[in-house]
Order: sequence, then C-alpha cells, then structure tokens
Amino acid sequence: MTVWGMILGAYPRSRLARYTLRDRERGILDYTQYTSRLLMIHSEIIGVQKAHGLPVVVDGMVDWHDIFRPFIKRWKNVSIDGLLRYFDNNFFYRIPVFTGEPDPLEPVWLPRIRQFKNLAEPSSLKIVLPGPFTFVNLSQNASDLSKTELAESITSILKSEIELVKEESVFIQVDEPLVGDRRLSKEEVEEYLDYWNEIASLSSENSAIAIYFDVPRKEVFDIVLESKFKYVSVDVIDSKRRAIELLEKTGLPGHVPVLGIVDARRIHEDSLDDELLTMIKKLSKESHEIVLTTTTWLDLIPYTYALKKTKILSKFVDIVSEKIGLEKRILWR
Amino acid sequence: MEYQVPRKFPTTVVGSYPKLEPAKQALRKIRKKQASPDELRGLFVEAIRGVVEDHLWAGVDIISDGEQTREDMVVYFAERMNGYMPGEWTRIFDNVYFRKPIIYGKVEWPGPLTVEDWKIASSFAEGRPVKGILTGPYTMLEWSFDLYYGDRREAVIDLAKELRKEIEALVNAGAKYIQIDEPALSTRPWKEEADIVKEALKIMLAGLDVKKIVHICFGKIEYILPYILEFPVDQFDLEFKNSNFRLLPYLKEYGYDKELGYGVIDVHTTQIESVDEIVEDIEKLMKLGILSPEKIYIDPDCGLKRLPREIARQKLKNMVEAAKIARQRW
Repeated sequence: MTVWGMILGAYPRSRLARYTLRDRERGILDYTQYTSRLLMIHSEIIGVQKAHGLPVVVDGMVDWHDIFRPFIKRWKNVSIDGLLRYFDNNFFYRIPVFTGEPDPLEPVWLPRIRQFKNLAEPSSLKIVLPGPFTFVNLSQNASDLSKTELAESITSILKSEIELVKEESVFIQVDEPLVGDRRLSKEEVEEYLDYWNEIASLSSENSAIAIYFDVPRKEVFDIVLESKFKYVSVDVIDSKRRAIELLEKTGLPGHVPVLGIVDARRIHEDSLDDELLTMIKKLSKESHEIVLTTTTWLDLIPYTYALKKTKILSKFVDIVSEKIGLEKRILWR
Repeated sequence: MEYQVPRKFPTTVVGSYPKLEPAKQALRKIRKKQASPDELRGLFVEAIRGVVEDHLWAGVDIISDGEQTREDMVVYFAERMNGYMPGEWTRIFDNVYFRKPIIYGKVEWPGPLTVEDWKIASSFAEGRPVKGILTGPYTMLEWSFDLYYGDRREAVIDLAKELRKEIEALVNAGAKYIQIDEPALSTRPWKEEADIVKEALKIMLAGLDVKKIVHICFGKIEYILPYILEFPVDQFDLEFKNSNFRLLPYLKEYGYDKELGYGVIDVHTTQIESVDEIVEDIEKLMKLGILSPEKIYIDPDCGLKRLPREIARQKLKNMVEAAKIARQRW
C-alpha cells in the first residue's frame, strides 16, 4: 500500500509572472520573449514540486486567467462576457458565452505536455480539464444548442484533448468544483455521469475527478462514485466535519482516494490531526493507494505561501507514510 | 441649508466612484512614499470635490465621497486597524491583484478612518446628505487571511465591536445614513453565516438614530434573502441589473418589506442605460406591488469605481431622470 502527493491545480503568479503577463499585454514583450519567460517561470514551479518528491506535477498554469479561459480562447463560437464571482472566493472569472457549437482551433494541453514533459521527469505531468458539468453551468448559453447538446459538445472536445496526449503517460484530472455545491440535487447531476464516463474510459487507470470548495450531498456524491474515474478527489478541509461524515458514510469503494488536506485558500500552517489520520487510516484499508493533495488550486494565495503549502504537502506524505505504515511513492508510473 | 430628499424614489449611490486624477496621483505618491500629509490631503480634497460635483451635476439626492482615498474596500481599513498587517499580492481576476491583508493579532480601531473624507464631501454637498460607508466585519474577515482568531464568529464579532466605534464617530460628525458593505455575504448563503452577520450588525447599529443600510451584491442573493430579513437594518441595498432582476420574484416570495436600495445601473458595463430602460426596470419592481415608492431608493448595483468617469456621470444622470419620471408615474 502506498501514499503519494500532488498539487491539485495552478500555482499563483510570482512577481516575475505578474510582470511578464502585464508586459505581454502592453506589447512590451514579443511572443518569443514572453514564451521564454513563461518557460522559466513554469520550470521553477515544476522544479519545486519535484524537489518535494511529488510523483505527479502540474506545470503551474500561471498563464491561465481562469479555468475556462485557455479553452475558450482556442474554441470558435465562444466569447467571454463580464466577471462573475468564482464560488465563494474573492476571485472572479469571465463568463464563457456560447454563441454556437464550440469548435476547437487548437488543443490546450498537447503543446504544454511537449514543452514540459522532459522537465518534469522522472515525475509525471498532470493535465487539468474543466469538467462538463461545471463548464456548462458556469457559462452562458446564447446558442441554439440545448444544454444537453452543449454538454455533449464540450465533452467531445475534452475527450479530444485527452486523445492527443494519450501516449504521453500523463495524469488526467477533470475538475468539477460545482458538484460540491450542497444545494445540488441528484437529478441535476446524474445526466453528467455518462459524460464523465466517456472521458474517464479514455484513460481509466490514470484519471481523476476533483471536487472542491465544498462537500457534495451524499445523493450527489453517490453518482460521482458510480463514475469510472479511478481517482476521486475530495476537499476535506473546507467543511471538515461534513467531509469526514460523508467519507465515513460512503467510503470511496472502487476508487483511489485523493484527499485535499492542505488548505489552499488560507495561509496558516496546516496540521495533520488525529481525526484526519484516523480517516486516512480507515480509507487506506479499502484502497491500495492513497493520494494527498491541496484542497483546491493554489492560485488563491500569494506565491510565497504556495511554495510553503507544497512543502507542507510533502511533509504530510512523510507523516502518513510513517504513522500509518504506507510506502511512500516517489514515482507514479 | 438642509436639502429635502424626495419622499418617493430618492436616488443615491453605493459609494465608490472612478478615481479622479488627483486621487490617482495621491495613491501613487503614497505607494512611493513621496508626499507630505498636507500635499496628500490637498489632492484628496480636490478628488472628493470632483466626485461631489459630479453627483450634484447628475442630481443624486444622497451622495458619497466616492471612496477616493480607498485603494481597496478591505485594504483601506486593514492597513489602518491594529491587528492587521499588509499582505502579499493575491489575484482578483485576470492579471489584477489586491494585497490581501493578514490578521495577526486582536483587531483594534485606531481612531476615525472615514470621518475626514465624509466631512470633506459634506462641505461640498450643498446640504445633501452624504452616506457614511464602511466595509462590514464579515467581508473584512472573508477577504483577509486570518492567522490570529481561527474562529470565524469570534473574528467577525471583534471586528464589529471595533467598527462600531467608526460608526459612532461618523454619527457624531453628523452622518444620517450609515451603510455597511457586506458583498462577501452573498458568497456563503447559509443560515449559520447570516446569523453571524446578524449578531455583528446588532453590535454595530444598536441604539443609533440613523438610516441603517446593508449593501450586498454579486452572488446568489436569493439564497441568503430568507435569512437576512430579520437583520436590524432599515434598508438592504442590492444588485439587480447585472443579474437581470433575477432576484425580484424572491422579494415577493419571502415577503420583503424593508426599504430597498434598488440597483438599476450595471457597474460592469460601459453601456449607458437609457432613461426609458431605467423607468422600465423600476416598473418591474412596482408591478410586484410589494413596496411603496417611499421605500424604494434608486441607485446603481454597486460602486462605480471600475467605469470611466464620463460613463459613470452619464449613468447617474439618466438614473436621476428616470427617478423623476417614476415619481410622477407612481
């Protein structure tokens, strides 16, 4: 039985990253200068994760303004509208507006994987995709497509992203933060099980679904558990009591638990208390593998704290390995 | 000379206004530590006067200082209150950031924070009332990092006790309208959160003979609405236009009967609402038959700070014209 860690999503922007994006927007940096600076910034982030022994790493995605933007920038028939609050954060995303059937002009992930794969080795790279449920429901549909047709169309493009990197041995994560909304009913989510399974079946051994910001109701989580994603990621800290209760009730049968136990929205020094250790120990009896992660992406805190959180995650892997007797995994594959 | 606020459909603003050039200069100088207090005061007085002149030109009844001295609604208070320390850059959207402050000790009011600006605005207001506006304790906590309290309720209540002192200072200076901004409340629309705010508002507003207003915007306000109706305030000032008046049926459903700050100007678009459009939007509320014109304050969805000045001015002008028509019609 093994334990390992990975960061859930994007890193925040360092001063250099902020200035790089600003200077590109102002036309001070040409494309070559811009991409070479970004390479440097992303390399540092990948290096930090490798240095902390994380077998799966993100490239940092510091050039992503929000989870949807890199995709809609490369798709026809989608534009962006005003700002809307992103869940309960003091952070706003630009609303994707679908004016027709989305049509990808170029992939988001393939060029990134080609750029960063060698840098990441021996760790594996992770690709992160906005899940169809969150994508559809956080967008505006100004097209003639029905909601179902839009979800099908988005799912199809997300699948093509995966197809293109299938040979690259990457970890695939589909983010569905909206599934954590405690007001959702089973009926609102169940239609998406088929879409999730279409995505997961392309890469069933190395794909995850990630739910964060809150803890879903049991009836909604039961649908997630029916999915073919091998890994299921849950934010355990934001609503700790509810998360532990849910995991005690349902467990994660047939899935590898990915537990968000490092608070990615706050800057305090996290602690791994007995309650968490007990929960991890219990889950480890049902799975040959446990993954520890951050509660959400790290881009909601300043860069220096994101580096600290990376270190804390690595420390937690060591603690769990030692106290629960799980072998610490350094390589994912 | 006391200005007579119209009995029906008074017009007002939520608070912030585009930073005028003297304010921008002053804030730049503060960042670079390049200015004397006298020079800064001169620049801010000029900026506030410009805001008030715009409000008067548009004909707004209850005005504000435009929050010209506030770099950000949370950071301004946090930088001045004891118990806070400056934070690092945290992203808000795109490549835009704010220095999310950190609570590292017990928070304490250091003395008046907004009273001077309120007095300056009042001195140019030709008798029109100026709102005293401050960021509420819940939003102060939510948009800060907390390294001291660890308990959300405890932090909010402590902040409320200290901010009460600011409200008292405003009231002692003569403010008749006190507005507490709690945009963060709409992001966690649960009863237990609303209960914390209710307790905080009791602390902040008890026994004060002023118009008590809470401003909430940009979120699922319909989810929080049933929990806030018992708040000890006279008026909720809410965003409607940006969310296409989605909230209106819920007002009726939940039996809303307090005064309402009715947001009819979208602060996130430079498209200027026409007078007719605003009148139609007022009609949407009137058709519900739940509030009399005396309980309806016409205003923008939120602060106007992200708009160009000329757009903000014209939006206010059209809003005031629409309110005049509404007064005749209803």
